Amino acid sequence: MNRALFRLSLACLVMFVLLLININYVQAFEAGSLASQPGNARTFNQQFQYQRGSIVANGAGGPVTIANSLPVKGSAATSGNTTFQRHYPGGAAYAPVTGFDSVYGATGIESAYQKYLAGTAPSLTVHNLISLLTGKPKQGATVYLTVSPKAQEAAYQALASDGGHDAAAVAINPSTGAILAMASVPTFNPNRLTTLNGTKFVKIDNELLANPAQPLLNRAINATYPPGSTFKIVTSAAAFSTGKLANQNSTLPAPQPLKLPNGNLLNNDGDETCGDGNPPVIEAFWLSCDTAFAGLGIKLGGAELTNQATKFGWNDANLTIPMPVSPSNLKTVPDASLTGMTAIGQYNDTVTPLQEAMDAAAIANNGVLMRPYLLESVQAPDLTTISSTTPSVLSTPVSASVASEITAMMIQVTQNPEGTAFATANSSVAGVEIAGKTGTAQNGINNSGLNDAVFTCFAPASDPKIAVGVMVQGGGFGADAAAPIAVKIIQAYLGVH
Amino acid sequence: MPRGRRRTELLMLAFAVGVVLFAYANVGFGLNGKLPAGLAEYGLAFAAIVLVAHLAVRKLAPWADPLLLPLAALLNGLGIVMIYRLQESGRNGNPGVQISTISGSTTAAQVMYSAVGVAAFIAILFFIREVRVLQRYTYTLGVIGLILLAIPAVLPDSLSEVPGTGAKIQIAVGGFTIQPEQFAELALAVFFAGYLVAKRDVLALAGRRFLGIDLPRARDLGPVLIAWGASLLLLVFESDIGTSALFFGMFVAMMYIATQRTSWLLIGILLFVFGAYLASKLFSHVGARFTEWLHPFTAANVFCNPTPAAHCVSSYQLVQGLYGMGVGGILGSGLGHGQPYFTPLVQSDFIMTAFGEELGLTGLMAVLLIFGLMVQRGLRAAVAVRDPFSKLLAGGLAFAIALQVFIIVGGVTRLIPLTGITTPFLSQGGSSLITTWALIALLMRVSDTARRPAPQPIQDEGMTQVVRAG
Repeated sequence: MNRALFRLSLACLVMFVLLLININYVQAFEAGSLASQPGNARTFNQQFQYQRGSIVANGAGGPVTIANSLPVKGSAATSGNTTFQRHYPGGAAYAPVTGFDSVYGATGIESAYQKYLAGTAPSLTVHNLISLLTGKPKQGATVYLTVSPKAQEAAYQALASDGGHDAAAVAINPSTGAILAMASVPTFNPNRLTTLNGTKFVKIDNELLANPAQPLLNRAINATYPPGSTFKIVTSAAAFSTGKLANQNSTLPAPQPLKLPNGNLLNNDGDETCGDGNPPVIEAFWLSCDTAFAGLGIKLGGAELTNQATKFGWNDANLTIPMPVSPSNLKTVPDASLTGMTAIGQYNDTVTPLQEAMDAAAIANNGVLMRPYLLESVQAPDLTTISSTTPSVLSTPVSASVASEITAMMIQVTQNPEGTAFATANSSVAGVEIAGKTGTAQNGINNSGLNDAVFTCFAPASDPKIAVGVMVQGGGFGADAAAPIAVKIIQAYLGVH
Repeated sequence: MPRGRRRTELLMLAFAVGVVLFAYANVGFGLNGKLPAGLAEYGLAFAAIVLVAHLAVRKLAPWADPLLLPLAALLNGLGIVMIYRLQESGRNGNPGVQISTISGSTTAAQVMYSAVGVAAFIAILFFIREVRVLQRYTYTLGVIGLILLAIPAVLPDSLSEVPGTGAKIQIAVGGFTIQPEQFAELALAVFFAGYLVAKRDVLALAGRRFLGIDLPRARDLGPVLIAWGASLLLLVFESDIGTSALFFGMFVAMMYIATQRTSWLLIGILLFVFGAYLASKLFSHVGARFTEWLHPFTAANVFCNPTPAAHCVSSYQLVQGLYGMGVGGILGSGLGHGQPYFTPLVQSDFIMTAFGEELGLTGLMAVLLIFGLMVQRGLRAAVAVRDPFSKLLAGGLAFAIALQVFIIVGGVTRLIPLTGITTPFLSQGGSSLITTWALIALLMRVSDTARRPAPQPIQDEGMTQVVRAG
């Protein structure tokens, strides 16, 4: 009978091994998907029973805490456990950065760095274990952002006081890619969404979702607009890089009007002639002559424009900062006339405000585009740094020499009395030398709508510290509507008046 | 000369009591940062119960396996700790939600049941000095076992149904309930052992050979078919799938030990699969268990579907148990820090998910290994003992523990369809606890018999003249 007993013990062993494998599967591998099952009340309750990590804007003017969790008064007495509620001291100004954390999920940084803020990241396991052993309450990690409170608040104030247009602004440190400001209006006050009452949350959330002004949309990275004349930076870059133009003084034809290959006539803004009709490219650039650059674009061809734009970061559906960024689109069109329109940012090319800032940042950084990012570092509750960002190169759209040619042209836009942004962004107005490019994209059927105002720039021109992209939908002329906003951001960040 | 190893047992018992007291204190710290009420009373009571058991073993079964008692004590103690933790949820100002199916005196009752269980343990060691004497009562115990099983089926639902489960397995009189089937397990194990020892030569006779397996003769199929029919009846009349699977499994395993014929094992498994399939088609409540197992997260299956119906698909309890284990993760939330109160009747069949939630994968694996060790010691006793009846009984009982753990833990962790059955030693309730203590007593008696040195023949060499043949 012993032989049968041995076999039976093997059967018992198999049963126990199966149980062990299965609980390992449930508790180690399936745990994540179980936690995200709708209706899992445990995780739902748990997330408000410990202190979620703070979000800190740690750029120039910081550190400023822009999101933190505070105990709800009296919660320990009524439910036995202290309940924490999220607060956003920065309010609406930082809403596009922080997003919000609610009883029904999170957006923005709150969502992107959930694992750090909630303390569930694998890199925090050891810290959590130590807290468990020493009896400290579980706490999330603090997320430090590159956002500069000076630049961010200036950007938000400037956009908000602009008269109710849909607008957004992004500022980048060109040498690192660190995002210094990211503002969008109309926006929302994230403090309204932190209620722990699910019914109340749903009511407010639905109201925001139904609002035609789309306050929850982060226009800085998730809305695209026609770039208008700011695209001439890309067209010039392609011309210099391919040798179609030798330098800033090479001349190019600028007829008024330009007869497009399909027979349509393209006029300069106000039907003005461009210099002597065959100006150096730098003059065409500060005057922003459409016929000169449309002609140049046709000569370059659509493929070349797409290629150059892609190097600047366009057509990239995978960019994250860490929030996913909508791609700025530039598709090659076979039609030469439409290529001409593309070259002046007036066909179907669309761009995010972030991409506008990236265009300027690449020029400012000697042609090297740094990957834009928001995360400076993550600090565990015991103050050890568990993660930090090392700046990295995203691409090299142009050579250093091409970058210096374009810088010289962008300086003339603000410094030459004929430059499109002279009135609003010259050194005496701004207090710093800004290199920029205006854009005024015509809109609507037969261009009957209000123009979208765009401005992309960096400063100081000789030693760039900040690159800015501003978009004001229906704002009018880029120089009038968008440039002053960029100037305010630059002034606040650099501390000049 | 083999040693009794009682000192080893005492040392291990001290360790087990230490672990249990530490865990109990931990519950208090976890819940409100203070030492729990009743630490001294419950702690002393538990230590005393365990000590008495040890002293009884010293006196009554000095050669018994030294590991079985500490393992049983550790599991019993951990069960009390978890029941106390669940009792305190939302009570006495502690955090959490009060569990309505537990009263404020549940822990005290469980400690009392433990005392009764150990009393049964000692009584068995005292009255049964050799397990094989039970062979005399084979048929008596068989009849008693069947009667115990049948009682709830003939009682009205109001007296026999476990509220909310549809299972007719208890006798409820004046607020006090017992589950006679738990005791039936032991009676039937003795019956199976006695019957199979008597008939094993006949059952082992080979019939036709088919696909390399010796099939038994058709006329010998009778007993296995009767056992199969009985467990199906249990399933139909008492809606108790888990117990019916356990008894049938135990019977087939013992049949295999007795005859060493793989064919019996295969016939048993085939009959079981066929029975389960038939039942799932014929009885909606069995079919519902399969649906809950396969699609627990489907929204329609979580709450009673279709409503209202007596035997609806309702995976709520299973899903809550899994959520708890998921939240517990690898290290668990710590005793008192979890939210096991979300799982209905967590103190009973689902108590292992509470261990998974609060002690994590680590703690759950440790508890499973304790069970595994217990089964191994039981099987070892079966291998070591010479008498076939004792061997068969010990083997069957040890396998029954393994199977019971497999059925319930596999059920609550979604390895197999969930069938309600108690977790030995851990689940709240006296009948199961007392039965399991009695089972451990039988195993220890068998191991005592196995390890007891044979009486030495008297050899008085000094008086013996060695005559040298010249």
